[in-house]
Amino acid sequence: MTCEEFERVLPELEGSHSLAQEQHLRTCSACADLVSDLNAIEQKARLLEDQEPSPRVWNNIEAALHREGLIRQPQPQLAPPFAHPARWRFAWLVPVAAGVMFGAGLLIMHWQVGTQVVRQARVATPAIQSSSSVQSPSVPSAEDPMIKLVATSAPSVRASYESDLRAVEAYIHDAEVAARNNPNDEISQQHLMNAYEQRAMVYEMALHRALP
Amino acid sequence: MTGARKLQGDKLSEAEAIQRAKQGDAEAFETLYHLHKRRVYSLCLRMTANTASAEEFTQEAFLQLFRKIGTFRGESAFSTWLHRMAVNVVLMQLRKKGLPVVPLEETLETDEETHKKEPGADDVRLAGSIDRLQLEHAIANLPPGYRAVFLLHDVEGYEHNEIAKIVGCSIGNSKSQLHKARMKLRDLLKTSRAEKAAKP
Repeated sequence: MTCEEFERVLPELEGSHSLAQEQHLRTCSACADLVSDLNAIEQKARLLEDQEPSPRVWNNIEAALHREGLIRQPQPQLAPPFAHPARWRFAWLVPVAAGVMFGAGLLIMHWQVGTQVVRQARVATPAIQSSSSVQSPSVPSAEDPMIKLVATSAPSVRASYESDLRAVEAYIHDAEVAARNNPNDEISQQHLMNAYEQRAMVYEMALHRALP
Repeated sequence: MTGARKLQGDKLSEAEAIQRAKQGDAEAFETLYHLHKRRVYSLCLRMTANTASAEEFTQEAFLQLFRKIGTFRGESAFSTWLHRMAVNVVLMQLRKKGLPVVPLEETLETDEETHKKEPGADDVRLAGSIDRLQLEHAIANLPPGYRAVFLLHDVEGYEHNEIAKIVGCSIGNSKSQLHKARMKLRDLLKTSRAEKAAKP
């Protein structure tokens, strides 16, 4: 085997040699050096170290993933209750305090409205005692404190409230006329008390709607 | 490279990261990137011999992978799948630029290509004395076609039948190109050594 013949088949050998090729390598130092060099290159190539890309490569990839909608935002995980005992030791005070404040606010407003209801009821009472004069049912005015409160806090229900108030005022008027004309009639007196109670209920409902 | 390599601490394993990446998990994407970035980038860098191009191709290879990750069924190793994608990205770009990747036909050897032993030349064996940096430099000086086959076979460990499918040539052509690449590298390394020895 000549050197030319050996080099012609070299690409196909891939490490294994025939007897003739082995024989040639034993006798030809040039071809033996060639095979040795090529093997060394192959072995060194397998040991080449990998290199690190610049951080901007990941930054660009991440930006593209977001742009293309391939990254989905994770659902926020709620911390389990009492996960941080130290932090949550006095947390129970918060809702309690809020409830106390809310209840106090309700009581104050209810007292104020109730006072006005009583005042208005007392104003209305002399009309019952006087038989000579029959007053026409009072028309809710814009200066009415409850109307002002509803107009401010819940304007969407103002019309409905005024309608209810107008209706109950008309009922009170009719009941007062009947009670005046029949002072000893218990049923007339009962109708009058019912009318006053209904006005109180309208006030209470308006107050309930007006509160946040 | 196995498909379920556990990372240190409480980080995701590759298998877990693949599953979560299919759901669009950002951390999973990043995990997969950091697992394979060096190998992919190094391949791109050696094939292009250009840092900017290597970064661009690395980026594109990972993006293509992440877009298609939902189709990964685990029939082959994830790294193989990624690597093939990286190679295809680079080869596609090389073809776009008009650079010959691998000749489709085996060329007849000419006197210039055939390795000729000069009588009396000082042939010192390279074995045991190949400098890593010199080899990297020599690879960068290979023609693109030789370089691609050499990197795929000797650096990345692909077989000739796989290389033939990747670059679109015959197995015989792949073997021929590999041999020529090694011969060329041998010449470059010897020249480099001779130049180094000649310096005072």
